[in-house]
Amino acid sequence: MSDARKMSVAVKAGVEERNADERNDGSRNVVPRNDSYAYFPGCSLTSSAGEYDASFRLVAKELGIGLDEIPDWNCCGASPAPHHWGGNLGVLLPARNLHIAGYAHDAMVAPCAGCYNRHKNAQHELAGSEEIREQATRVLRQPVRYEIEILNLVELFDREVTPEALAERVQGRLAGLNFATYYGCLLTRPAKIMNFDNHRNPVSMKPLLMATGANADHFPFKSECCGSYMGLAHKEIVLRASRRIIDVADGLGFDAIVTACPLCHQNLDLRQGQINKAFGTNIEMPILYFSQVLGLALGLSADDLGIDSHIVSARKLLAKIGQGAADGDERSITTNNSQGIQKTAESGASSSNARVAGEG
Amino acid sequence: MTIRVSSTVPSGADVVADIERRSGERVSACYQCGRCTSTCTGAFAFDYPPHRIMRMLQLGQVDEVLNSRTAQICYDCMTCSTRCPMNIDVANVIEHAKMIADERGIEGDEKEIRLFRLAFLKNVRRYGRLHEARLLTWINFRSFRPFNDISLIPLILRRKKIHIVPPRIKNRNEVHRIFREINGGDKPE
Repeated sequence: MSDARKMSVAVKAGVEERNADERNDGSRNVVPRNDSYAYFPGCSLTSSAGEYDASFRLVAKELGIGLDEIPDWNCCGASPAPHHWGGNLGVLLPARNLHIAGYAHDAMVAPCAGCYNRHKNAQHELAGSEEIREQATRVLRQPVRYEIEILNLVELFDREVTPEALAERVQGRLAGLNFATYYGCLLTRPAKIMNFDNHRNPVSMKPLLMATGANADHFPFKSECCGSYMGLAHKEIVLRASRRIIDVADGLGFDAIVTACPLCHQNLDLRQGQINKAFGTNIEMPILYFSQVLGLALGLSADDLGIDSHIVSARKLLAKIGQGAADGDERSITTNNSQGIQKTAESGASSSNARVAGEG
Repeated sequence: MTIRVSSTVPSGADVVADIERRSGERVSACYQCGRCTSTCTGAFAFDYPPHRIMRMLQLGQVDEVLNSRTAQICYDCMTCSTRCPMNIDVANVIEHAKMIADERGIEGDEKEIRLFRLAFLKNVRRYGRLHEARLLTWINFRSFRPFNDISLIPLILRRKKIHIVPPRIKNRNEVHRIFREINGGDKPE
């Protein structure tokens, strides 16, 4: 039985128990609280950003952070929900997830910056309006639970791992690399609702990245927009906005851009070829997820972390830290990875197990 | 250059007050420094840059704002809001203009963005989660650009970055109830 299914059975049983209990003494917290985090993967992480999900689960496992996927979660509505049909669609869709997640957990983590943003926003709206709470309660047919603490991935790691402990553990494995920390829009804005980091000059990724032995010099475009979901309707916006970001990172000599948002990743990585074509540039800037960098630091294999599933190859970067070969074509790297990397990775066996768990 | 004189000032004032009330922002506080526009990544594709939208609202030129491409395109990256020296959440103001335009049934010229948002939500209404493959193909065909981004498809397939079978949640009824709660269960286009 999968964890998700176990939990959904537990939820059903728990709801009945709770209803019975509320009839008796009206208390709400009859469910034993859970030390692990409710995990909201979101739609991107189950398809186009599968490597973000896999690397996050692997690193969390490696660091002993418990994750319980929220049973039967639904799409948060992303940007279209608040922008279309007005109303409170953009609040009610996340409200259902908050409600399910809050059943047995005090905190949830949403690695996708968009999902994180929508859930936090929904929580803010729910807290501020009796009318919306009533609406949510009507839809869910239960008094809506929305107080769960919502964390993004950077926030979660910041809380669970101190830079000192990480530094001790990884022994400067990523020394010699210089990462451009790219936060984008949705992690920190709007500041009064997100209440995370400094919205003008976010710095939260830096301590952990520095602890890996790498550098994270100031990246002036860290909070610029990549063009968001305009890729289909107004591609020129995405190409222009994303070009500025990779161009500046390239000019400043960074080895890679580190992000915590699947849409930013898509715009910067998947469309990098289009950008080069449109502007006659020849930039090759790898875009890595924050969880992948931590994974590399912890000695997990690049293959398990899904680094070769990116369009822009990170082989130069991997060669610098002794993973993979510096030259040779992409295909040979990909096929060699499964054997070559296993030898160098210290936790090859455990990570391949975890990969199976990640896919399940 | 043409100077358009708006005749909607009296009714416009109501809408501006409505935007201010709903968004909680003070449109009148804007003193036109233009910092929002200088930082806007989409301004080159807009008809009115953000600082002009603010000025037009101050002047009550509501019809122009509600019909503007700016209100339809703005993708709410909120960079302008971060930079405003008066701490006005400019993106929030534009977003509420967009919502009011939507409530009034103003469709505007930005058909493809509308199509994208609508396709996205219909997709979620159907499965409870987003099915990216279906969304992409549907949009390309509906916007009569079947070969849009075709160069990305081999990349996407080679990296196994997409699901062919749609993901479905179990309790789709609850998601349907959410959509019914919002728009009465009809099929708005």
